[in-house]
Amino acid sequence: MATPARTPTPVDQAKREAFEREALVHLDALHRVALRLSGNASDADDLVQETLLKAYRAWDQYQPGTNAKGWLLTILRNAFINEYRRRSRHPETVDLDSIEPFAVFEDVQDKDPQGAFFDRIVDDEVLRAIDALPLAFRETVVLSDVEGLPYQEVAKILDVPVGTVKSRLFRARQMLQAKLYQYAVSMGYIKGNAP
Amino acid sequence: MNCREAADHLYEYLDRELTPDVQAQIKEHLAHCPPCGQHFDFEQSFLKFLEARCRAKGASPDLRRRILRELFGE
Repeated sequence: MATPARTPTPVDQAKREAFEREALVHLDALHRVALRLSGNASDADDLVQETLLKAYRAWDQYQPGTNAKGWLLTILRNAFINEYRRRSRHPETVDLDSIEPFAVFEDVQDKDPQGAFFDRIVDDEVLRAIDALPLAFRETVVLSDVEGLPYQEVAKILDVPVGTVKSRLFRARQMLQAKLYQYAVSMGYIKGNAP
Repeated sequence: MNCREAADHLYEYLDRELTPDVQAQIKEHLAHCPPCGQHFDFEQSFLKFLEARCRAKGASPDLRRRILRELFGE
C-alpha cells in the first residue's frame, strides 16, 4: 500500500532549499562527467539520479559552504566504478604504459602554429576521441579539462596522488591531440607530414 | 629558466598550478623566447578548444524533472 504523502516539515523544507542551492546547481556538471564515464545517455541519466539520491540521503555529512561539486563528483565516480563500469561499453584493455605520447606541435609549428585546424573539428569527433581514452585518462581529463578542477581536487576525487594526475593529464592531452590531428589530416583540414 | 625547464612545467603553468614565483619566471622566459611562446600558445588554444567543445550539452529537462520527482515527490 502506498504511503500517504505527508506535509513537509520546516526541517524538510530547509534541507530541500539547501540541497537545491548547493547540490542541484551542479546537475549539468554531473551529467557531463557521467556521460563521458559511462559512454551512453541512459546510463549517464541513471548515474546522475543515483548520485543525487545518495547525496540527499547523506546530506547531513556534507558541511555547508564546502566544496559540494567535489563531494558530488566523488559520489558519482564511486557509484560508476562500483556499479556501472562492468556494463560500460568501454573495454579497458589498453596497457597505459604502452601508449607513447606524441607532440603534435612539432609537426604543425611550420604550417599552423596556432592550431587553427582544431576549430574545424566537429564536437562529436572531440567527444569520440575522449571516449576512446582508457578510463584512468578519461576521468582525469574530464575533471580537469572539462570541469576545470584543480589538480588537488581531481586527485582527491580519483583517490590518487597529485603526481599521478599530472602524468595522466600530460599523456591524455598528448593522446587527444594526436588523435584529433590525425583526424584533421584525414579530413584534409591540414596537410600531414609524410610518414 | 631555460627552454627545457619551461617545457617541463608546460601544463602546470597553463593550469595555474605553480607557485607565483615559478609562474613569473616562466612568463618572463616566454616573453623573451618566441619558439617557447608559440608552443605554449598552441597548447593553451588546444585546452580552450577542448573545454569549449565538451561543455555544450547539459542535463535534459526530463532528467531534471525525474530527479525532482524522486527527491521531493513532485
